[in-house]
Amino acid sequence: MINRREFLKGMVATSFTVVSATSVLAPLSALASVGAKKRDDWLTTGTHFGAFKIKRKNGVIDQVKPFDLDKYPTDMINGVRGLVYNPSRVRYPMVRLDFLLNGHQSDTSTRGDFRFVRVTWDQALTLFKESLDTVQTKYGPSGLHAGQTGWRATGQLHSSTSHMQRAVGMHGNFVKKIGDYSTGAGQTILPYILGSTEVYAQGTSWPLILEHANTIVLWANDPYKNLQVGWNAETHESYEYLAQLKQKVKQGNIRVISIDPVASKTQDYLGCEKIYINPQTDVALMLAIAHELYTNNLHDKDFINGYSLGFEKFVPYLTGESDGIVKSAQWAEQITAVPADVIKVLAKTMAGGRTQMLMGWCIQRQQHGEQPYWMAAVLATMIGQIGLPGGGISYGHHYSSIGVASSGAAAPGGFPRNLDEGQKPIFDNNDFKGASSTIPVARWIDAILEPGKVIDANGTKVTYPDLKMFVFSGNNPWNHHQDRNRMKAAFRKLECVVTIDINWTATCRFSDIVLPACTTLERNDIDIYGSYANRGLLAMQKIVEPLFESLSDYEIFSRFAGILGKEKQYTRNMTETDWLKKLYNDCKSANEGKFPMPDFETFWRDGYVHFGEGKPWTRHADFRADPEINPLGTPSGMIEIFSRKIDRYQYDDCKGHPTWMEKSERSHGGPGSDKHPIWMQSCHPDKRLHSQMCESQEYRDTYTVNGREPVYLNPNDAKLRGIKSGDIVRVFNQRGQLLAGAVLSDNYPKGVIRIHEGAWYGPVGKDGSKAGGAEIGALCSFGDPNTLTQDLGSSKLAQACSAYTCLVDYEKYRGDVPQVSSFSGPIEVSL
Amino acid sequence: MRWLKSLWQTLNSPAKYLTLGTISLTAFVMGVLFWGGFNTAIEVTNTEEFCIGCHSMESKPYQELQKTVHWSNHSGVRATCPDCHVPHTWSRKIARKMEASSDVWGWFFNTVNTDEKFESKRLEMATREWARFDRDDSLACKNCHNYQSMKWETMSKLAQKQMKRAAEKDQSCVDCHKGIAHTLPDMGTARAPELIAEVGTGPSKFEVNQHYYSALTKPLYFSDKGDVEAGTLNVATKVKVLESANGRVKIAIAGWRKQMGAGRVIYYDFGINMLTAQLSKEAAKTEGVIVGFEQKEDQMTGLKWQRVETQLWTDAQYLVTDQQPLWDYAKDTFRTSCSVCHTQPDEAHFDANTWPGMFQGMIAFVNMDQDTQALVQKYLQQHSSTFVNKEH
Repeated sequence: MINRREFLKGMVATSFTVVSATSVLAPLSALASVGAKKRDDWLTTGTHFGAFKIKRKNGVIDQVKPFDLDKYPTDMINGVRGLVYNPSRVRYPMVRLDFLLNGHQSDTSTRGDFRFVRVTWDQALTLFKESLDTVQTKYGPSGLHAGQTGWRATGQLHSSTSHMQRAVGMHGNFVKKIGDYSTGAGQTILPYILGSTEVYAQGTSWPLILEHANTIVLWANDPYKNLQVGWNAETHESYEYLAQLKQKVKQGNIRVISIDPVASKTQDYLGCEKIYINPQTDVALMLAIAHELYTNNLHDKDFINGYSLGFEKFVPYLTGESDGIVKSAQWAEQITAVPADVIKVLAKTMAGGRTQMLMGWCIQRQQHGEQPYWMAAVLATMIGQIGLPGGGISYGHHYSSIGVASSGAAAPGGFPRNLDEGQKPIFDNNDFKGASSTIPVARWIDAILEPGKVIDANGTKVTYPDLKMFVFSGNNPWNHHQDRNRMKAAFRKLECVVTIDINWTATCRFSDIVLPACTTLERNDIDIYGSYANRGLLAMQKIVEPLFESLSDYEIFSRFAGILGKEKQYTRNMTETDWLKKLYNDCKSANEGKFPMPDFETFWRDGYVHFGEGKPWTRHADFRADPEINPLGTPSGMIEIFSRKIDRYQYDDCKGHPTWMEKSERSHGGPGSDKHPIWMQSCHPDKRLHSQMCESQEYRDTYTVNGREPVYLNPNDAKLRGIKSGDIVRVFNQRGQLLAGAVLSDNYPKGVIRIHEGAWYGPVGKDGSKAGGAEIGALCSFGDPNTLTQDLGSSKLAQACSAYTCLVDYEKYRGDVPQVSSFSGPIEVSL
Repeated sequence: MRWLKSLWQTLNSPAKYLTLGTISLTAFVMGVLFWGGFNTAIEVTNTEEFCIGCHSMESKPYQELQKTVHWSNHSGVRATCPDCHVPHTWSRKIARKMEASSDVWGWFFNTVNTDEKFESKRLEMATREWARFDRDDSLACKNCHNYQSMKWETMSKLAQKQMKRAAEKDQSCVDCHKGIAHTLPDMGTARAPELIAEVGTGPSKFEVNQHYYSALTKPLYFSDKGDVEAGTLNVATKVKVLESANGRVKIAIAGWRKQMGAGRVIYYDFGINMLTAQLSKEAAKTEGVIVGFEQKEDQMTGLKWQRVETQLWTDAQYLVTDQQPLWDYAKDTFRTSCSVCHTQPDEAHFDANTWPGMFQGMIAFVNMDQDTQALVQKYLQQHSSTFVNKEH
């Protein structure tokens, strides 16, 4: 018989146990819901286009609005839904028909005919591994190139190329690349001149420029267009300063002079002064300005003597003493079409006050692209304001919020790209058979076509390896490389191409094994927002589950590592969530005591942590303050107007000082202009990030003309050819042909057309079929400008991409209009 | 007083009734008992319970120990206070016991009885113990931890490298493992904690005319006393110690300088832009501080260079005996930090004078403190194509 006392004691004990047990379990369940939120909540994530808040409805992305801290969201927010829901998504792993049938002995001329067979993940990954086995065994590491990188998608954990290179690296070694397509020539020449790559460096803060500069020279620079996208989750803070600049221009406080063949979006926005210049002739204009400064004694002799080297070796070239050609304003007028008196006034203006030079990147994406960057640095040196706020020169203010002062916080690291300490690949072979294991990024097609060839590159010799296999991940070389038909010829020599991507890009089309990756919005990740501002950390919350059979990069390569028997080594025995927390916590430790960060659960729930404002800063100020203690990274520690190091290379296309050299093809009276009179400008798009977002159908429909990429034409040139806006135009040269939709506009002068790069290549056969697109010489149905560009190294120094040295002609298209073949994915075939 | 006299008389007169043997045996037995008692008393003061009897010892070092591997680990072997803090050999034990009278002093006069007082004296107490460990090459640790018995294969690759190197020299454990059992004192600067954790703070005694390497960028002084700075010694620079005094060492720095400006930047070698030391303007101008030798023109730039030497003082801290741990740390940092966005370039891909430009262009993308930045840049330069002939 239990007495009352015992009964009460028992009741109290039981209730106490129950209460405490549930309160212990509660936090565990909260942890389990990391990433899961109530269905009607706004989730946070970030892309190259911006940081967003996204709402679902019935499990599907419904609304997208800008992140609270983004005051200047881009119009491209309207394309975000289409990043996930579009007909180009790679749905399941697929293998090219003939590769599935015949492996490394397949008929490579059918590559590009877009016929693929669906397979399972296991089959695809096993085939991938077997191909790597074949290549490593037969050819060794020099036969495999897995080194190309691209813009990928945001997110430090799922960084696509890191995953691919780590996993493939566990199997064996491979050929890698140096340089990139964005700034290939610039990043190679500037270390010799200014001692740093400069193009990806933080620049003088905008507030200082707005306060101190009298004149801003935008040279081949369209920041209002290009700042829409960013390397990290972009929050567009630069636009605040562009708005302030617009005001200052209106009030007459600052002069902005934009030098450009085309009337750019920035010119339109700022309402600034413009100087038209013949395409590819900028170096001539710069030389003439320098000549003006020198002959009128407007150059800063003290600065030149105290901070630079080699001016006295450069002057004879300027004055004509060395080559008999005086680089005067009159001389430049003949080449550039800029009137001599305009040049003289420009020189006086630049030297007559505080002048900030802001260079764009497309000017170095041409033959001899090293020269305009070098000569611009020489001009800035002659003006003598390098290191002063609002003076000097910047090569990056149009990119990813450069110019917005950085908070100074530590950013999170990423998933490791290399193998861990002590790990070795299965094929531990480092014998590249005398070939280089690293080649210039833009010379890979050359390498495939001419293995064993030795070229000059940046002071050394590079021997092309005999490449048989490529792996691309989150990277679209069939967008950013030049001369599509030449690429087709090269690809016929390859035995195996594997591509991991979200959508059926042209690179996937010309591959043998295609693996579906999911988008940024279909996985959890972490990244900073504000790009160079490093304004804070963003929780990139998974919005929807990966569509179809797509997987995150982490998952794809964990499985691949599993097939190698190395899954534990690959993941370090951690789950995806473990990694996310580790990256966050490592960042938190690095910021300890400086930038407080909450625990991971709080961060994930809030969606972000803010690091605060940065301090305004002037580039090169410490060099100016004490060039002895703070030398530049050049051989002498000073600005090198004449570079002995480059001079010693004895390159005919890159000499010891900046030189004007005629191009292999140039419009407006230059070589080849008699045959193809039009210069094609294929600059960065206004409505995409390169080729990203082209897949977003509803957004694409807002700018395509007759279903095709727009080609912007000068009204007079178009009229001569009987073309009006909306017509389908065939643009062509000796390298290829494409169809695009005509847009007539006064923004484009005589002899110039523009087709934005990133337009998806959609070749079709003579019969208009998708499969016929494999033919060499096929017509591009959508308007990819790289069908027509030249695959030429900028010079022996950088061997970089020369897309802007390109002449074309165009006509009204009168044939049968083929369907656009770029976006509908492959022709699915069953065995 | 009378009883004292009586006692003396008794002791001073020969035994009347007791035999010599009885007295001797009794004395012997009493001696044993006494010795035993004395020893027991000493041993009681050598127990953990005794040590933590003082509140400050219990609440601070004892609690801190419980967070470390010397308290709890997978083999269940733990250390108590006396294992490390009381020498095992008798003579040194007794000596230590006599030193411990300062503990009694402290207990009596409340020198460390509060948190604040303890923390303010932590560095002093730690330094004393480190000096004791230095004197016998960390014998206290080696009573249990034996280099010969270490199972290298179970260590991480990095640990293996470091430990094998230490084993070769029978190195003193606390050179690197300070803070292994109790919280480290605040040494004024928490500079590059991971780097210092890897390479240590260096020995406390220096051999004359031996070479050492700076583990951090360090101030240089004109003399062994005073705070007048003569310049800065860059990280990973090889110097020769000439003498020691007052916690500082006099070092000889050799290199080359450019004949420009005040000529106060000393570089590693002719034509090589690797920073060795930077002197202040005053130091450079003072007669005899920088001694110049032959001059040469650099064909690469047209600049004139001069071989120089200088002898200055620096604090004895952060000078290590071996350069390799610095390079190992730098290499790992480089591989990890510089592969987040792209594959890191091969060290020999650029020459020594190209690396600074490349490095400076990228440094904003990684989280390295100033010291680590300087070290990694130097590592890259030292292993660049200027010094290493490597196909890649």
